[in-house]
Amino acid sequence: MDIGPYVLQLFSGLSRAMVLFLLSAGLSLIFGVMNILNFAHATLWLLSGYVTFSIFTFLSERLGASPWMLLPAIAGTVALMMLAGLALERFLIRRTYERELPEQLLLTFALVLILGDLIKLVWGLENRRINLGVQPIEMLDSLVNPYQFVIVGTGVAVAAGLWYFLHRTRFGKIVRAAVYSRSMVSALGIPIPAIYAMVFAMGVGLAALAGGVFLPLLPMALGEDLDIIVQCFAVVVIGGFGSMLGTFVASIVVGVVYSFSILFWPDGALAMIFLIVIAVLIWRPWGLFGTELRY
Amino acid sequence: MASSSDVRRWDGVIDRLKLSRRDFIFSTLATGALMLAPRFAGAQAAQPYKIGVLLPSTGTGANYMAHCIKGLPVAVDELNKRGGLLGKHPVQIVYRDDETKPDVGAREARSLILNDKVNCVFATYSSAVALAVQEIIHEHKVLHLAATSNSSKITQDNYTPYTYQLCPDSNMQSGAVVVAVSRMAQKNNWKSFVSLGQDYEWGRDTHRGFTTGLAKVAPNVKETRQLWFKLGETDFTSYITAIMAAKPDFMFGALAGKDAETFMLQGNQMGLFKRVPFPGGLVAVNDLKAQRKTLPRGLIGLARCPFFAHLNEPIMQAYIKRDRAAFGPEGYPDDWACMHYDALGALEQGAKKAGSIATETIIKALKGATIDTCRGKRTFRDCSNQLDVPSYIGEVWDSPDYPFPIYKPDTMIVVEGHDVWTPTCEEVEKLKKKRA
Amino acid sequence: MSGEGNGAGWLSRVYARYGISGPVALLLLVLLLGVPLLPGEYWTHVGTEVLILGLFAMSFNLLYGYMGQISFGHAAFFGVGAYATAMLFTALKTPAGQIGIPQFFLSLLIGPPVAALIVGFFCVRLTGIYFAMLSLAFGELLFYIVFSWYSFTKGDDGIQGLLPPPLFQDAVNFYYLTLVIVVAAAVVMWRITESPFGYTLRTLRDNQRRAAFLGTNVMVHMLANFVIAGAFAGLAGALWGPFSRSVNPVLLGWGESGIAVFMTLIGGAGAFIGPMIGSVIYTMLQAMVKMYTVYWPLTIGTIILLIVLFAPGGILGVIDKRIRAGRSGQSANGGDAEAAARGAEPRP
Repeated sequence: MDIGPYVLQLFSGLSRAMVLFLLSAGLSLIFGVMNILNFAHATLWLLSGYVTFSIFTFLSERLGASPWMLLPAIAGTVALMMLAGLALERFLIRRTYERELPEQLLLTFALVLILGDLIKLVWGLENRRINLGVQPIEMLDSLVNPYQFVIVGTGVAVAAGLWYFLHRTRFGKIVRAAVYSRSMVSALGIPIPAIYAMVFAMGVGLAALAGGVFLPLLPMALGEDLDIIVQCFAVVVIGGFGSMLGTFVASIVVGVVYSFSILFWPDGALAMIFLIVIAVLIWRPWGLFGTELRY
Repeated sequence: MASSSDVRRWDGVIDRLKLSRRDFIFSTLATGALMLAPRFAGAQAAQPYKIGVLLPSTGTGANYMAHCIKGLPVAVDELNKRGGLLGKHPVQIVYRDDETKPDVGAREARSLILNDKVNCVFATYSSAVALAVQEIIHEHKVLHLAATSNSSKITQDNYTPYTYQLCPDSNMQSGAVVVAVSRMAQKNNWKSFVSLGQDYEWGRDTHRGFTTGLAKVAPNVKETRQLWFKLGETDFTSYITAIMAAKPDFMFGALAGKDAETFMLQGNQMGLFKRVPFPGGLVAVNDLKAQRKTLPRGLIGLARCPFFAHLNEPIMQAYIKRDRAAFGPEGYPDDWACMHYDALGALEQGAKKAGSIATETIIKALKGATIDTCRGKRTFRDCSNQLDVPSYIGEVWDSPDYPFPIYKPDTMIVVEGHDVWTPTCEEVEKLKKKRA
Repeated sequence: MSGEGNGAGWLSRVYARYGISGPVALLLLVLLLGVPLLPGEYWTHVGTEVLILGLFAMSFNLLYGYMGQISFGHAAFFGVGAYATAMLFTALKTPAGQIGIPQFFLSLLIGPPVAALIVGFFCVRLTGIYFAMLSLAFGELLFYIVFSWYSFTKGDDGIQGLLPPPLFQDAVNFYYLTLVIVVAAAVVMWRITESPFGYTLRTLRDNQRRAAFLGTNVMVHMLANFVIAGAFAGLAGALWGPFSRSVNPVLLGWGESGIAVFMTLIGGAGAFIGPMIGSVIYTMLQAMVKMYTVYWPLTIGTIILLIVLFAPGGILGVIDKRIRAGRSGQSANGGDAEAAARGAEPRP
């Protein structure tokens, strides 16, 4: 039996998984630490895609076209979006910490509507894409897009970086402690608001990174955020709210299951994901790797 | 002139450059004050004719409709310079966003008809929205010109005498692809294919039309695999590897809009089109313009109304000239804009033939009428009010005359509507539902 | 509306007896009766939409305001109700495309319980964020079923031709029909919220564990309320089809669920009539704003943002607070305490 196609399907599943992971990591981080389900996460991602596009185009026009211009464009976008995240946290999100869950949801939902229309206002109706001139390479008697290695590499690097940050740095350990008990962390004299602000900015920064990294692969279009956010929720729900490891594993499960469903049972690919989500929510609502918390 | 204020308002809708922040805040927040202001300044000599333009600027269709939405006011301005309909009724347009949602479309159609008192509605991108809008326009007896939505149901199952359709319907388009693909299959000795479709009614319908049509003319060409994806898919990688793994002779695609663009981009990066020919996917002029750098040359695309196929038509020439003057040297109209321009032309000629702007006389005048369009002289089919227009299939090719690729002229197959429209008029009569 | 604190003795008594909802509901009813007097048939249609979506939002508030659970899949009830009605409607139509009055009412009455039965089956096991996510997931699942099951539901094309019988094709007649149904439904809902069952729901909202210790069967109460809320949402959906003349899977989507949430939040979840006030504001505003700009999402998003930040109780919550503050400043009799206990369900 020729295993080539299965290896490739696995690879494309992993690439899909890393796309999902990059999208969901920030969402999971913010939810885990701050207990805020950020509906606007994908909208911030989309906004970042447009911003990266604009910086990339600007740099290409000024300094000459080169695929490498994407790197400073992504760096610039991440920096800008983290600042925007700090501002959002300071002026909007912070006011709802003491409020109940529905109001927080509605606040971030309002941001979805507002940011979505702002994108339309600034960039118009037309889609945005960039062309890096990527050429396919031969592999296992088929062709693959070399940029997929970039996606998988970035996903793994972000996962490793987050792991290092959460387990090996002092700040990361505080963040992890805050997942388990806000009041205890606070009682130890650590300023929770500052931690929250930084975590929110980091989450937005991860969305921005994903936006920039996907730009060569995916035209940025109005409404794309709404297509993506439900997938992100699925990953976070399966993995467990607040568990970065869970998000990573769930991304791989969803990506690979989806990819092989396409090969064997194309009509049921989406239903498979739905069924996993509903099963998890019913039998283990806190997710595969999450711990039952506050709710 | 009333309509020039419309132009300004419309530019605000779409053209970010012309919309200052202050205008925007004004137009969003000061609606109360605006309510009191007269909508259209200046008294007109004769009764104005109002067109409600119901197209999405939100949702999947928004990207496709951008040029129509900003192009229609220009065309109307020009019509008004000639005095408007019958040379005396100035045309005014009122724009509404249907958000690509049927219930919103129905509500906004009502608002246009009852509140803005429009005489005619141009609608819309999505077939599902068009079907919902039809219920409203039939009830209020308002002319409906459909110039993008192309489900055959609009003119058959859900027929109303008030709807005229100016784009090739889904059956005609599938029929055209069958004609082109069966020719290619014979030439290249193709035996197998894989289908990829958007999992919703239009995708299923298009796929069904293609497979049944192909089974009749080329029974030895077999479909080995069907893949369906959810609307709004953002990652086609796994679909593309699955298609390549099946090693088909060619693939058929029933996909449009943003998803088609994503698929083309990712398929190209993965070298899909080097391995698997993809004939007959929708590649409209706006796609040619937007994806000029990435569209694989030699790809066989399908268009509904490409301007470069009718450069000899005086109407098309004038239209191109006007839009380039208005929107810059690259302002070539796309398929959707051309078809909406034809809708305006149909209205003008219908009114002329009727000698009146009353809806009932216009629909009588348009019944079976032959009109001058961007695509030459075209006739409405008697039983369904479907305009007899062709579909265009050709190879994507870099033209020396344009900054973006077009279809290579000697590869272009133009499949006339009346050759492929199905079913027969007797069957259409049976399909038509009874209306109260 | 806030000026009745000092004058109008009977209004004041209504306020003391029923809280802010009482006087507002009376004033609203008077205004609603007069809607067809507005110039132009269009505003009658807007009025009908206000009523239908208001009923939908009020049914949502049974879950949110009274039981403390936010559902992002409530539109599934609305949509299934709309579809059940649309299918019956199509099946019962005479071949001429006309529908008789008895059949029309029959299709209105059968649709909603079907919706409640189908969706109520997916029982309430979770609370908080998990409830929100599960309701979203089920809502999307139902949307997907309706969207894909072409042979049964006609897929994304939807079902057209839901023209009501000739008597109710007239906008004004249909409006009054809707008004009668919605008012009747509202009265029934009010009775439910004021029954012992309704008060049990409030204890579930405030502290589920304590309620369980008191011997309340939490699951059964939540499920019953879920089915009741679903039935009323289904009723609203049943009215929507003939109103809009067509139904479509979009009615089941989470965007539609969001509308109920927005309306409830704008009007005030703490008052029984709050969601209806929210519907008046949301629907009227939308009708006006969309005439002038395509930036409706931005407009409503900004309004929601401002309400969450500065008026957490919604419009009625703010007014109620004002009145209370004014009254307790004037006199300190026991009536206020009673009013506070009766009328206000503040704090969801």
